[in-house]
Amino acid sequence: MSYPSLAPFVLKRPWLRNFLTPLAGWYANAAGYRQLGLRADDLIIEENEDVLKALQRLPAQDAYDRVYRLRRAIQCSVTHKLLPKDQWTKPEDDVPYLTPILEQIRAAEKEKESLDSLTIVKGH
Amino acid sequence: MLSRTALSRAAQLAARRQGSAQLRGYAAAAGSSIPTSFAYETADVAGVKVATRDSRGPTTKLAVVAKAGTRYEPAPGLTVGLEEFAFKNTASRSALRIVREAELLGGQLAAYHTREALVIEASFLREDIPYFTELLAEVISQTKYTTFEFHEEVERVLHIKQARLASDVSALALDAAHAVAFHSGLGASLYPSPSTPLKGYVSENTIADYAGAVYNKSNIALIGDGATPQALHKWTEQFFKATPSSATSSLRLDSKASTYYGGEQRTSHTGGNALVLAFPGSSFDAFKPEIAVLTALLGGQPNVKWSPGFSVLSKATSTAPSVNASASNLTYSDAGLLAIQINGAAASVRKTAEEAVNALKNIAAGTISKEDLTKAVAKAKFDALDASQSGVATLLSAGSGIVQTGKPFQVVETVQSINGVTAEKLQTAAKALLDGKATVTAVGDLHVLPYAEELGLKSTSLRVPFLVYNLSNLEPQTQTPETAISFASTPVSILLQSSNATVHPNNHLKHIPQATVKMVFAWKAAGLTYNRYLTVAARVVRRSLKEDKRVAAERRGEMDLRFAKWENGKMGEPKNLADANAAAAVESANKGGA
Repeated sequence: MSYPSLAPFVLKRPWLRNFLTPLAGWYANAAGYRQLGLRADDLIIEENEDVLKALQRLPAQDAYDRVYRLRRAIQCSVTHKLLPKDQWTKPEDDVPYLTPILEQIRAAEKEKESLDSLTIVKGH
Repeated sequence: MLSRTALSRAAQLAARRQGSAQLRGYAAAAGSSIPTSFAYETADVAGVKVATRDSRGPTTKLAVVAKAGTRYEPAPGLTVGLEEFAFKNTASRSALRIVREAELLGGQLAAYHTREALVIEASFLREDIPYFTELLAEVISQTKYTTFEFHEEVERVLHIKQARLASDVSALALDAAHAVAFHSGLGASLYPSPSTPLKGYVSENTIADYAGAVYNKSNIALIGDGATPQALHKWTEQFFKATPSSATSSLRLDSKASTYYGGEQRTSHTGGNALVLAFPGSSFDAFKPEIAVLTALLGGQPNVKWSPGFSVLSKATSTAPSVNASASNLTYSDAGLLAIQINGAAASVRKTAEEAVNALKNIAAGTISKEDLTKAVAKAKFDALDASQSGVATLLSAGSGIVQTGKPFQVVETVQSINGVTAEKLQTAAKALLDGKATVTAVGDLHVLPYAEELGLKSTSLRVPFLVYNLSNLEPQTQTPETAISFASTPVSILLQSSNATVHPNNHLKHIPQATVKMVFAWKAAGLTYNRYLTVAARVVRRSLKEDKRVAAERRGEMDLRFAKWENGKMGEPKNLADANAAAAVESANKGGA
């Protein structure tokens, strides 16, 4: 799941960030997952070694909540309904809970790869 | 006329002789003075106790010795967990990087523990001392103790090691001997067995707490073997700055003084047979030269390869094949254990144990020959010096000495006192051991392995608590055996023996009727048949049901069976079975009451 991202570029420039934040909020709401009670991290595709490992490392409560949200969303999808408005995911609850673990695993993987392919630099 | 060559040859010889006179002799090595390059120099560098000795070799061994062995852990498994967490992810680099960097420098990293100390050690080439000093400081103060490492690495390794220990009967027997001899503290298991409940005690959080209590400047020593004091002091000052000077967690270390208790413990095992006979031994703070000589006299380890040797235990094993027996003095800071460890085939172990005790009795009776004594004294001296590498403490014993008492344990002074051991002193020491409480632990085929009393050793008599469930109030009550008897004779009480402690046939339990010890059921003791017992129980259950259920249940129980006795070809009077049952119950109840 590595893709080119403009986020670092935007975050470095406050004026651009202030301009784009409402736009991002609008986009996240329009994407529709919040109306099913999901969080953005629930949408990460899990058929993937790294993500499976990250899911195993989730604290017990987080893992339980995640499964609950997914089942509720599937139920909504099957019945072609949205959740009542008070159960929609609030923007402040939509925090990344899986991404930090995933980043940690990817960093370890990357470090391992770089250590596995050391190149000798001659000191003279 | 002297020839020129003759002259020069004489000169050469003379020069050589002169040179040889200046050479230092080796004979003084075991004497009172130690060459300075062998002794540890201790210093206090930025609050850390540092001991160095420079043997001027190409490699260095650097270790952090912490007062964190199993005797100090406040809950089982913490020392082991902390040991497994050594060289895992730290705040500034990953576990993988630590290993790879150490490999690149040709270093070796190790972590191990004893009952008293936890050692985190690195061996490396002499010039890499800054890197490894920094690494050790980082490991003790910056390890992250992450949840996923605990589940994915620490816990898995722990289970594998536990499984290995569970099949090692001699380790189990020695562990049990410590538990019986010292109870808590030194008696804590060196490695938790697979049946030790660790849940709730060992987690990444408790281990991190333990690390906070243990890894601080007052509780550790840094030992460098093969490093110059200047170099080590310089880098210690720089890198150990961040190490806290006192405990950072509220966890209290279990640090009470050791007491010798003694006793007996027996464990069934299918993986082999091991027997440990142990007695109070000599410790670091109170060295007993008689014990050292006695250990050497008992011996067990051959002096010449492929020969059984001529020590007392070697002679004992020579008649019993496939048996290993050896005596050793396990030395701790404030206590010691003189342990005779025997393992092999069950019958041979039994025979060897009997002979070992007889040999001890002979020593106590003073029948030891002068030659044997001389041999034992020489061997004791050699063992003491050999174990400590030419008269100086090894890294581990130096480290433990410093964290326990502030100075490294030096064996050389103790060697002098071994010379003073006479036959009388040895005799008194052996007698004291036999008169005191022994520790006897057996693991294996308990049908064959002997009890302490069968060997002629004094063991503690255990008071076995009984749990008595009385059907009338169904509350467990702890009973002493004496009161348990009265309960056993009432018809409706079930006696459960609640302890796995050894019930010894010759201790105070002997006045209990054999039936109680064999766990005969109360209904049988009351003289009921099984059918009648079931009838009584079923009736009680039915009567305790609620009204509507009871009526239905009693209707189910209604029966109209008649029976008649046939005598001399004539049928007797037909009787109702239910009535006859009730009459018989009344009769037997009357008999039981009388």
